[in-house]
Amino acid sequence: MSSVQARSVTRKRGFGYRAVVALGIVLILFGLPIFGGGAYLILLGGSWYYLFAGAGLLLTAFALFRGSLSAVSIYLLTYLGTVIWAFWEKGFDWWAQVPRLVAPTVILILLIACMPVLSRLSRPRRRR
Amino acid sequence: MHPRILARSTAVGLFGVSLTLAGWPAHAQTTPVAPPATAPASSAQEAPPAAQAPAPATAPAPVEPAEPIGEPAAPEPQTPAETPVAPEPLAPTTQSQDAGPSVQPTPSQPVPPSEQQPETLPAAPSTEAGSAPDQPGDAQDAGPAQAPASDAAPADTNARAPQPQRAVGADWPFWGGGAQATRYSPLEQITPENVSQLEKAWTYRTGDMPTEATQNKYSPEGTPLKIGDTLYICSAMNIMTAVDAATGQERWRHDPKVPAEAIPYGATCRGVAYYEIPDAAPDQPCAARVIEATLDARLIAVDARNGQLCQDFGDNGTVDLWTGIGEKVPGWYAVTAPPVIVRGIAVTGAQVKDGQAEDAPSGVIRGFDAVTGELAWAWDLGNPDITGLPPEGETYTRGTPNMWTTATGDEELGLVYLPMGNSSVDYWGGNRSEAENEWSTSVVALDVTTGKPRWRFQTVRQDVWDYDLGSQVSLIDLPREGGTIPALLLPSKQGDLYLLNRETGESLVPMEEIQTPEGGVEEGTYAPTQPASGYHTLRKEDLTEADMWGVTPLDQLFCRIAFRKSAYKGIYTHPTSDQFWIQYPGYNGGSDWGSVAVDPERGIIVANYNDVPNHNRLIPREDIDERGIKPIYEQNEGSEGGSNAEGSGDPQVGAPYGINVNAGWRAPFTGIPCKQPPLGGIRAIDLATGETLWDQPLGTARRNGPFGIPSFLPLTIGTPNNGGSVVTKGGLIFIAAATDNLIRAIDVNTGEVVWSDVLPAGGQANPIVYEQDGREYLVIQAGGHHFMETPVGDYYIAYALPRA
Repeated sequence: MSSVQARSVTRKRGFGYRAVVALGIVLILFGLPIFGGGAYLILLGGSWYYLFAGAGLLLTAFALFRGSLSAVSIYLLTYLGTVIWAFWEKGFDWWAQVPRLVAPTVILILLIACMPVLSRLSRPRRRR
Repeated sequence: MHPRILARSTAVGLFGVSLTLAGWPAHAQTTPVAPPATAPASSAQEAPPAAQAPAPATAPAPVEPAEPIGEPAAPEPQTPAETPVAPEPLAPTTQSQDAGPSVQPTPSQPVPPSEQQPETLPAAPSTEAGSAPDQPGDAQDAGPAQAPASDAAPADTNARAPQPQRAVGADWPFWGGGAQATRYSPLEQITPENVSQLEKAWTYRTGDMPTEATQNKYSPEGTPLKIGDTLYICSAMNIMTAVDAATGQERWRHDPKVPAEAIPYGATCRGVAYYEIPDAAPDQPCAARVIEATLDARLIAVDARNGQLCQDFGDNGTVDLWTGIGEKVPGWYAVTAPPVIVRGIAVTGAQVKDGQAEDAPSGVIRGFDAVTGELAWAWDLGNPDITGLPPEGETYTRGTPNMWTTATGDEELGLVYLPMGNSSVDYWGGNRSEAENEWSTSVVALDVTTGKPRWRFQTVRQDVWDYDLGSQVSLIDLPREGGTIPALLLPSKQGDLYLLNRETGESLVPMEEIQTPEGGVEEGTYAPTQPASGYHTLRKEDLTEADMWGVTPLDQLFCRIAFRKSAYKGIYTHPTSDQFWIQYPGYNGGSDWGSVAVDPERGIIVANYNDVPNHNRLIPREDIDERGIKPIYEQNEGSEGGSNAEGSGDPQVGAPYGINVNAGWRAPFTGIPCKQPPLGGIRAIDLATGETLWDQPLGTARRNGPFGIPSFLPLTIGTPNNGGSVVTKGGLIFIAAATDNLIRAIDVNTGEVVWSDVLPAGGQANPIVYEQDGREYLVIQAGGHHFMETPVGDYYIAYALPRA
């Protein structure tokens, strides 16, 4: 059924859908190097955060491409982990939090903005 | 919200928030290896010419060097003055002059008597002072070494008896304020309460702006002198001007026509020196003169009244500093700091462009008669036998450590304190002579009457980090039982503050030793330990991966990976070639040429500092050749000479490696620093105890942002900074320095910024404070800085309270 759904979604070339896909692409563009770089950083003996964060971004992106509302919950989980990690690592040093929290928060806002579209897309197609 | 709008705001959010630090100034200098040379004997200490007069009241106090200063600071070092005795002239002088205090105002510019406050400097040189501490004892860990044995006959010199020095106050007679170079002004008209009313009193433009040939090479770093009713200024390309202190009107100008190719790495003239012939007739030409040293290595004297060249000085007003240096390669040997004049001797070193070759111009220090321009002496640390011109066909010892920054004169003791740099090849120590290793990165007290060193104090052993001493030392009289100790305050690029007995060079505060880590291409030959101050350091904790920064998690991750891939074992991580190494603090300090300010009445040191790593790698010779990186003497004319940051691809000819420095360690593409802010700060320190009173980031994010785009964020972030401060009796610190193009006033008691104004260009210069016609003025050059990436300008801007 999901493939059916996906197909039906692709047919919807509305603005909302294109925005969702664009956001997904942005998340892939960030998520892939963060995931790969994060794995490398672990090899170098560094932080494990980026591997997980990268995975979260990629999974969110896939959910977005599927037009699934689960993108929001996956990302919320990633974001929550990010906040906890960021404060654990740097506390209330706000300049230090800029790279840790600003972009992820912007993405959170964008995702929330996409929620109406996502919920429409992921609604089982009964009518019409 | 509409997604597209959201997307746009995302971009703004992502990019708006951070800053780009521009680089900082890189002023590290150095000089390469010299022939082994007769190493200065390390133990001997013979008092140089004992010709001096009575000992001053203040005993030289041997004092356990490990004793922290326990008492409040000296009340008023400006006038230590218990002993206004005029000693006998020490050496036969060429020009007769009695020691009578004769501070003459610039003859042509009558000065109301009230403005003259001839400062009675204690005039008694100390007898004892000639000897260095005889026991290394503490010295070995402290770094101070013994005075070299220089039993050579006291050179015949033109040094004269000590003269009273002009006081800081109405005037700003020396580069560092008063003769003590404390950057302290006793003026108190402007206070934290009324500073908000400051307004522009005048703007003066020198007219010296970059041409096509000098584009991106300007870093004027200028600080005026103010004497009588006149400011004496030099521009980036050494144009000297005199300006009315009340109106900013130009009175005269002298353009020495410095060629563009003379620019070493930046077009810089930090200031000029002023000298009055003690017994001159008031109408004698050049009775008062302004002396500057230029980028093309000339010493030029002009009449303070009219800017005309002094015919009695050198060759029609000019002395060629290339004499004895060797083949003339423009830009390799250049002077950016004002000479310091002590007992009638104008002392100067020079900037030898870093990283070119071991076989580089000498770091020789020379003293010239301030009246005649005659060479009084030369101090060639690689060959102490050369005390004048080198023998026919020879040069001063090539490649020796040089002094590119501003020295401090001690009229009373007849000494000049030289903050020495490193050899020209900064990042490879293998070919250095013993003499280089002994004198490099040391403050050296040179007897101006003989040109011989009295003592030295080394701050880095076998420096392979370009940790030149960049800051001018300040003279302070520290209260101790039964009197005061003549001390000097020495800041370093590593951020250490040292207090030394200026008669002996012994540390007056506890010294520490830092174990240096293993590793580095020259492993086994590095110094096992390095000195550090137990009194105060501006240095922060070692970096960790978590200190890496960026705009987004992605570029932060990039920096974290780079951090993990680099060699880093804290400060003094040795240079590596197979991987990058992190140098923290970088070569901009800590404290650089802006130096620190000291309020002797409150007993507070004000120090601004950088807090930035460099990311460096030694480049094997073959790669250097492959990349076509050539030393300055092989470059074609008009090629990119001085435009890059120092060390970003230097050949280091003669060493097995060249060097590549990413100054400030900025990520490629975004230009964002890899280290989180603050990248610079300002701190107040209790002079008596060395304790931090307050510490604040310096500079806002308004001009910084990723990809060089200003963020306009008025938030304090702490940017790299270059330039010093002034502290006033009125309770204010004035400083620009940061990359936000602001001049600001800070309450000295709290560290709070209580006033600021936007400058039309970067404020990478030391401000001055003076009084004219009953009004207190603050003057700052807005000249910009290529390395700091701030906009260039030719402005001098004066601020004052509105007229009542």
